[in-house]
Parts: sequence; C-alpha cells; structure tokens
Amino acid sequence: MKKSFGLYGAGLLLLLFFVFGCPEAVRVGTTIGAGTGKISKEDKERLDRLAVQTEQAARPMTNQEEHYLGRAVAATILGQYRLFRNDPLTRYLNEVGQSLALASDRPFTFGGYRFGILDSEEVNALSCPGGTILITRGMLRRAQNEEELAAILSHEIGHVSNRDGLKAIQQARWMEVATLLGSEAARKAGGAEMAKLVSLFEGSVQDVVKTLLVSGYSREQEGHADRSALALLQRFGYDPNGLPDFLRKLDKEQTGRGRAGMFTTHPGMGERENEARSVIAANRWPLKNHAERDRRFLKALQSIR
Amino acid sequence: MKKKILLILLGIFMAGSIAWAATSKVITQEAVIRKDKRFFAPLVIRVPYGEMIEELERQGDWLRVSYKGAEGWLHFSAVQEQQFRLSSLSGERAQESTKEEVALAGKGFTPEVEKAFRDKNSSMRYDLVNQVQSFKINETQMLDFIRAGNLKEPGGAP
Repeated sequence: MKKSFGLYGAGLLLLLFFVFGCPEAVRVGTTIGAGTGKISKEDKERLDRLAVQTEQAARPMTNQEEHYLGRAVAATILGQYRLFRNDPLTRYLNEVGQSLALASDRPFTFGGYRFGILDSEEVNALSCPGGTILITRGMLRRAQNEEELAAILSHEIGHVSNRDGLKAIQQARWMEVATLLGSEAARKAGGAEMAKLVSLFEGSVQDVVKTLLVSGYSREQEGHADRSALALLQRFGYDPNGLPDFLRKLDKEQTGRGRAGMFTTHPGMGERENEARSVIAANRWPLKNHAERDRRFLKALQSIR
Repeated sequence: MKKKILLILLGIFMAGSIAWAATSKVITQEAVIRKDKRFFAPLVIRVPYGEMIEELERQGDWLRVSYKGAEGWLHFSAVQEQQFRLSSLSGERAQESTKEEVALAGKGFTPEVEKAFRDKNSSMRYDLVNQVQSFKINETQMLDFIRAGNLKEPGGAP
C-alpha cells in the first residue's frame, strides 16, 4: 500500500505543488496522509523536503535580499569612484528622484530610493538593485534643465522597477543559492554552508557590477526602461521630451569618439531618441510649461556648472 | 486509494479557502498605514518589516488593511500576499508550519551574509553606501517640492 502511495501519491503531491505553488499545500496532504497512517513518517519528511526545495529553486529574490545585494553593488562602485559631497545638490537630486519614484510603477522597495553623485567627469548613471541610484557629476552637468534630469532618473528608476539588475545574475548561480537554502544542511546553518552562501552572494554582486560597468543592459531592457520613463514623466507632470532631448545630446557626443562610462555600455542613443519621439508623438502628449522648474534647476546646479 | 486521494485533495482545498481571507506580509523596512488612499495622507500606524496584516479590501493600487486593531490604507507594493497561512489552522499542523517558517526565516542574502561579505572584502565602501542611503526627503519637503514645481501629487490629490 505504501509503495502504491509512493508512486501515485508523490506524483499527486507534486502536481498539487504546481497547482498551488506552495509547499504548505503539500504538507497538509502529507500530514493527513501520515495522520491516517497511509504514509510513513520518513515518506512524509522526504515529500515535505522535496516540496520546500522545489519552491526555493523557483522563488524569485525577495525585496530584502535585493536590498542587501544592491548595497554590496553600491559599495563596490563606491570603492572605484569617489562620492561627490555637496549637500544642497544631493538634496535637490533626491527631491527630484524620490518624488519621481513615488509616482513610479514600484514606489516602495525594501529600503527606498536614494540618489548619490559620483565625483567623476565621466558620463554615467548606475542603478543598483533595490533603488540606490548613482549619477556622475559629468552626467549632471550635461542635463540642461529639470526635465532632462528627471528623464535620466526616471530611466534608472525604470531599471530598478523592472528588476533589471537582478536579471544580470547568472541563472545557475541563483539556482545554487536556492538549492543550498532548501537543503537540510543549510537549515542547520553550518559554517561551511554560510561560506558557500557568501561566495554565491559575492558572485551575484560581481554579475550585477559587470553588467552595470562593462557589458550594459540589453537593448530590450534599455527600451523598456525608456518607455517606463516616458510614461512616468508624463504622469508626474514633466515634459517627456526631456528624454529624447537628452539622448540627442549624448548621441552627438558619442558619435565618432571612444569614450568611457555610459558610451561603452549604452550604444544606439540615436535609435533610442527616435523611438522616444515616436512614443510621444503617438500619444499626443501636450507640451508642458516648465519655467518654474527651470529656475530651481539652474539655482541647484550652479555650483557645478 | 481513490478515497485517500480525495481526502488529501479536500485538505488542500480547505487550506486554500482558509488562506483566502488574505493576510499579507510587509516587505519594506517600514510601511506606513494611512488614513486615506494617498501617499501623503495622515499616518495611522507604522508597521515594521515582516509583520502580518489583514487585507480587508482593494481599490486600485491601495489596500484597506487592519493591523493591531488599527485600520487604514496601504499601497499594494509594500506588502506581499500570503496565499497559504497554515497558522490559521489549529493544533499540531499550525505548530509545524511555524517551526518551518522559523527555520527558513533569515535565510538567503541577509544582514549576516552582508557582514561576512564585508569582513572578507575590506575595499567595499559601505560607509559611503550608508551615507547615500541616509539621504531621505521627508514628506513635507517632498510635497513642497512637488507643489512648487507644478507637478502632480502621486497617487492622487486630496
């Protein structure tokens, strides 16, 4: 009888797992089975463990894990660049960025969105998982008004919101994390398992940093972040033309030059500009008056211009 | 055999229906329950990470919730719905579930992993990360900034 349950029952329980997507569903089944003496205690434990492992392997990264990963990514980047310390400017940047984030598709991450300035003439903006967004002084200097600054930040918020950084982590690595967490050994939290987890964390951080600084996101991810940015700018009251206007500037600068930073990781600015313009035209978004915002932008940025 | 399968299935569906009285877990460091379904509505109560709240109704992006006897509105992105909460069952099964949750809690990329990673990599500038992450704009500042710039209050004006 037990054997027949093993064959049919295990299959049934796994089916239940996939229908309900939760090991607790399986556990109810096995508890009832064990309680009525239909399956052995060992079988019950084995099936429960299998269900937990299957769930762990399939689960996405939690907001809290994303936060700690993002902190490590930011700590790595800040080990390579210097932080530009200018309180009034940092405050202005955070006012633009944090209010935009609140209007975004993902207003809340575990630790919230924060914006910092990298002391570099390079042109770059980097979004760490969880919402720490770093922008270079060189990039800030190229923005002509608050509409363009908001466009840059909206694009980066789009990457955080779409969890693009996490997609940079090698799938095999995350599967290994998941398998380790589902294992009996890890549950007893031995030192060797912790060391393995730290090394997998380290690898994941490197995957994200490499994508941010060297290889760049895919064109598809950039296009998606641009579309999220346009919708966010429009919804929040900014002129979405800030995005194509800024992309045009970068495209002109990029053409014919071998430069560092964003120019190596973000090809095809011209194409992106055209796509953004066609989205704006198709939606017939009205032009917006931004005289007041232009004034405060100039005041905030005067120290670095 | 068929009887057993039916029995197990019945158990699953019972668990499912109990769980449907939606309980959600707070997934931000701190969530704020508000009087109204707006980001800048007056505060009712602060809820720390990992706490469970009862979901009473949903309107658009906002959930009407109850926590420690207080009721109010919370943005959906601050919580994660728990589809199965066996702790709503009683007795041995509930205890088992709690044990399992405790065993799995704190696993993954946690503060302990961060600490071990920092000890191993001294060139990491966590001091600067903390500095960047401490730059929080408070609600009054943010509202002033939005209004002065003729922008739209996110989540709707009062």
